[in-house]
Amino acid sequence: MSAQVIDGKEVAAEVIETVKSATQKLIKDTSVTPGIAVVIVGEDPASQVYVRSKGKKATECGFHSVTHTLPEDTSEADLLAMVENLNNDAAIDGILVQLPLPDHIDEGKVIQTIAPEKDVDGFHFINVGKLGTGETETAFVPCTPAGSMVLLRKALGKSDLSGLNAVVVGRSNIVGKPMLNLLLAANATVTIAHSRTQDLPGLCRTADILVAAVGRPEMIKGDWVKPGAAVIDVGINRIPAPEKGEGKSRLVGDVSYEDAAEVSGAITPVPGGVGPMTIAMLMANTLTSACRRAGVEAPTY
Amino acid sequence: MDPRYIDGRSVSARILAETKAGFEALNGASGRLVSISIGDVEEIAVYIRNQARGAEKAGIPFDDQYWPAELTQDECKARIVEMNDDPSVIGIILQRPVPDHINVRSLQSAIHPLKDVEGMNPASIGNIVYNDLALTPCTAAASVELIKETGLELKGLEVVMIGHSEIVGKPAAFMLMAEGATVTVCHHMTRSVAAHSRRADAVLVAVGIPNFLKADMVKPGAAVIDIGINQITDESGETRIVGDVDTEAVVEVASWVTPVPGGVGPVTVSILMRNALTAQKRQIAAGWIAG
Repeated sequence: MSAQVIDGKEVAAEVIETVKSATQKLIKDTSVTPGIAVVIVGEDPASQVYVRSKGKKATECGFHSVTHTLPEDTSEADLLAMVENLNNDAAIDGILVQLPLPDHIDEGKVIQTIAPEKDVDGFHFINVGKLGTGETETAFVPCTPAGSMVLLRKALGKSDLSGLNAVVVGRSNIVGKPMLNLLLAANATVTIAHSRTQDLPGLCRTADILVAAVGRPEMIKGDWVKPGAAVIDVGINRIPAPEKGEGKSRLVGDVSYEDAAEVSGAITPVPGGVGPMTIAMLMANTLTSACRRAGVEAPTY
Repeated sequence: MDPRYIDGRSVSARILAETKAGFEALNGASGRLVSISIGDVEEIAVYIRNQARGAEKAGIPFDDQYWPAELTQDECKARIVEMNDDPSVIGIILQRPVPDHINVRSLQSAIHPLKDVEGMNPASIGNIVYNDLALTPCTAAASVELIKETGLELKGLEVVMIGHSEIVGKPAAFMLMAEGATVTVCHHMTRSVAAHSRRADAVLVAVGIPNFLKADMVKPGAAVIDIGINQITDESGETRIVGDVDTEAVVEVASWVTPVPGGVGPVTVSILMRNALTAQKRQIAAGWIAG
């Protein structure tokens, strides 16, 4: 193996350290404490795990953190009312509604009800649009793509990607499309590829930066990777692992890691790559929101 | 016309006729389309004239307002907010450029998304990213319309967009992506534009440089959409309008080329009118005006 392994856990820990110290300073200088509210509807075990870890991380950062757990049969109107309350709650800088929501609730409607200036997930169409028009000083960038960009900058040791070809595989609203805007803003030449792309392996081979976000386990093979490329694997897929015992499973990315690591210059592992960055950037976005409220400059990552 | 050229004027005429029929089905336009020019706008007078003509063909009253350059940002914003609330205004066009003391982004954001016929409000751009293609930036939408005019299937089509402006390049990329194309966005920091454009089934150019796209940058049989509008002075001292494509040479390689003038420009105007119809429908659906 020749590639530099991009350690997402380590970079995420650095981000959290920056958030922690900036939070202490913010509280000391302005007496504004960043506040985050997480709302979960129902008892999906995976969602509960995510919500708990977000709450824990927020507390670790020194935030005011509240979690609202609502029963599965909560009506859409009640959930929207709760979001409105949080929009008007001066102590809350970031609102996060854990997805997925039960079928009887319109997810889009709920997300669009969150005040854009508290939408730390960056899913509100005003934030999505501002990312498109380059108004990032007042927008929130979705956490997974934002974290991917931080890893990329660390791996390449620079933030200006002029002259580099980036290929993003996957055109989802929460990863692929924001990555197009972020990579363009960093001066890369960007191609967005997807399941209908004609010669996907050939196209991937042109990439100096390859971002995989399709949600298909190990779809991108080592021989699709240009030698020396930086590979960011956003996929998290659970596959059976009979070698670990009956009924066991393991996590893999969208990239066939072992082969790709032989060819690439730098690569993110799964788990331990992009994954830990997502929650770190959520904390970073919440701090940014609080800094905007306090009228002070937010740290960069 | 040489069949290798895509005739933007006939596409525009068709869209305007469809739009007119659309308005007739709603018992006519509910109000007027307002064009706002702030300060000295001599250089864009021709665009405003073309929009007025397009509006007439589509059956929409066109109100071209000229605001004094001395107006402050807040005064401009207040006037726009008033129009947002005025049911006799279907849509608002903010002509650019604006004087230096005016923040154009902030004014565009002040136009309500239901009246944003130019598709410039961040909320409108956000909707495009989310594949809601209702009120799209007109030039980007016109470019997509012209690719469709060739009959090429957009699903799986290799498209290269040269230029990454917020007004054209980026929204066009998202719209083409929504249609299933594989899209590459190139710009002035791209190492080799030709290496990308030569692989494309369709190339769109919006860089503002005359003769930028040469024949050797185009794959034989591709469609070429020329979004550039540049004024040049030729050897005889005459000024004329050219695009970003070396059209005479490229037409020998490509299967389709949009001419300048007479390509993207007229279609852009017709899309603006189609957006006005969409805006009226959305205002009816939102209960702002009677259906």
